[in-house]
Amino acid sequence: MAEEVKKRTTYRSRKELKPRLYIGDPMVAVFRTLVRTTINRPNTILYPWEKLIMPDCFRGRPGIRLEKCIECKKCVKICPNQCIQMVPIDHPTLGKVNRPQVYVARCMMCGYCAEVCPTNAMMVTPEFELAAYTRSDLMFDPFKLQYEHKPGYEVHSPMITPSELKAGKTESHDKGDMAIKDTVELDPKKCISCQRCAKTCPVGAITMADTGEVNPKTNKPVKRPVFDNNKCVSCEQCVEVCPKSCLSMKEAM
Amino acid sequence: MTEMWMNMGPQHPMTHGLWNLRVKVDGEKITEAQPVIGYLHRGWEKMVEARDFQQIIPMADRLCYGSSMTWSHLYCRTIEELMDVEVPERAQWIRVIVCEMQRIASHLMWLAAVGTDLGSYTIFLYCMRERELFLDQLMNLTGARMTYNYPRIGGVRNDLPENFERDTLRVLNLFEKRLKTEYEALCDKTVSYRMRMENTGYLSKADAMNLGVTGPNMRGSGVDFDIRRDDPYEKYDEVDFEVCVEQEGDSYARYRVRMREMQESCNIIRQAFKKMRPGPVRVKAPRNAPKKTAFAHVEDPRGEGLMYVVGDGTNQPYRLKVRSPIFVSVSAAPVMLIGEKVADVPAIMGSIDMCLGETDR
Ligand code: SF4
Ligand code: SF4
Ligand code: SF4
Repeated sequence: MAEEVKKRTTYRSRKELKPRLYIGDPMVAVFRTLVRTTINRPNTILYPWEKLIMPDCFRGRPGIRLEKCIECKKCVKICPNQCIQMVPIDHPTLGKVNRPQVYVARCMMCGYCAEVCPTNAMMVTPEFELAAYTRSDLMFDPFKLQYEHKPGYEVHSPMITPSELKAGKTESHDKGDMAIKDTVELDPKKCISCQRCAKTCPVGAITMADTGEVNPKTNKPVKRPVFDNNKCVSCEQCVEVCPKSCLSMKEAM
Repeated sequence: MTEMWMNMGPQHPMTHGLWNLRVKVDGEKITEAQPVIGYLHRGWEKMVEARDFQQIIPMADRLCYGSSMTWSHLYCRTIEELMDVEVPERAQWIRVIVCEMQRIASHLMWLAAVGTDLGSYTIFLYCMRERELFLDQLMNLTGARMTYNYPRIGGVRNDLPENFERDTLRVLNLFEKRLKTEYEALCDKTVSYRMRMENTGYLSKADAMNLGVTGPNMRGSGVDFDIRRDDPYEKYDEVDFEVCVEQEGDSYARYRVRMREMQESCNIIRQAFKKMRPGPVRVKAPRNAPKKTAFAHVEDPRGEGLMYVVGDGTNQPYRLKVRSPIFVSVSAAPVMLIGEKVADVPAIMGSIDMCLGETDR
């Protein structure tokens, strides 16, 4: 083994090199570069005047399309640096709504907020020049965060479920596809028909349906939430708001 | 008084990052050396305990910006081991490709740093120029220049973009040509480079093994070991490559190992492009980890990176331990430095490729 390894080494002693080589060759290499960069373009660019061409998927600061956002707060939950907050705004067409505000000084440009956004309202923009004189300039409120959308700015991450992979399927699903979406499950025994989940759901995927039973104590009909899984965006807000913890997320696996 | 202690660092041109090397000198000769680290400690391991598994991936990138892809890859592999997730084949090939590109970029950054240590600004500029080609390719693929956030638990984020293969092969052709002509002329054939690298910083085979030095530093001392070959992960068992070993154990041998490794990485990338087939690139990973422990190790550009994770049934790790290669390699500094001259310290410490981000964590 050792012999074999020894044979493979490419170490050449300095004594084997002729003086011509170790003075001439480096100079030739450098001189060639000089000639090449004089004739052709140099490798550098004149930055403030010229700019690099960024690929479409470049992850700069996050941007938002306010009318697309559905207030699901998925971006708030995923952000590893906790730099997104929902703030109330007064929009000329949308009225009084909550929209995300990003503290870009803390943002690490991971692009997760755009990756999880179910409606592609949040996107990554190619903006990277974010210097500011004060820290408060870097607090991007929803209006400042707005950015014009172009195809290619949204982040896709096609996925397949493990069971499909085992079955030999090769078709990937984009986000929001029913095959990979987590759905909400109800434990009807614990439910007290408080309707808080239906009020919280940002997309109106929950309706309270009559079960036909009547509560013997209050003489009112018992209602249970029914989930429209096609509308649901798996934001887990209903799970969080439930006072009796009767909801849970069922993972599509 | 004939001997005195000297502090090199934490702010010194010799240190690549924030660390301190205390050397005891007798005239020009070093009689004792003590590396002091901890200036860059960010509490990474504690920080990740408060985040869920997906959120930690971009944090793993920040362990070392020189080779962020390998660290987030290692993290994802550890969690896949913990959750028993099977990665699709195409994703494994893509991971091989991006990790090898990252290895080349990291080695080039190392050579650039050594170039400045030796006072050769030309080497620095040439290496940075070539590194840019690889960074551009990775940027087209992942959308960021250094902290890629590209591997995911269960695969990678997106498939290769259009023309990625064509552009990468062009970059490889250009890079291989320059590796054989310009780099050889600038380093191997330059007398000042050879004089400062050869016969300095000797680390014997026994010392390298006993101190736990890994990666190119160990292979430069004649130890024939590479995790990619001896404990293959992803698709490394299906590619054909050579483990680069040099016998001399000096700074120049460590340099040779890295140069040959870059050439091997080019070969691996070419083979990977030939062997990969279309298919899915990511499987859905479960949210919660089972109550067990897992570890994974990969061949980082600097040595063996290892992560050990304890899952407690929630969606956050109970404990995550990182074993970083340079944390161990830097303890070999006294062995390499004693008996050398002060002027050789930058070349020797540069040749082990310091990276403090992953050392102090
Ligand atoms: S890019 Fe990442 S860090 Fe920045 S706001 Fe979005 S999720 Fe948070
Ligand atoms: S994830 Fe998208 S839709 Fe949901 S709150 Fe954030 S920006 Fe709005
Ligand atoms: S049903 Fe629950 S998880 Fe689905 S969108 Fe409504 S609140 Fe979110």
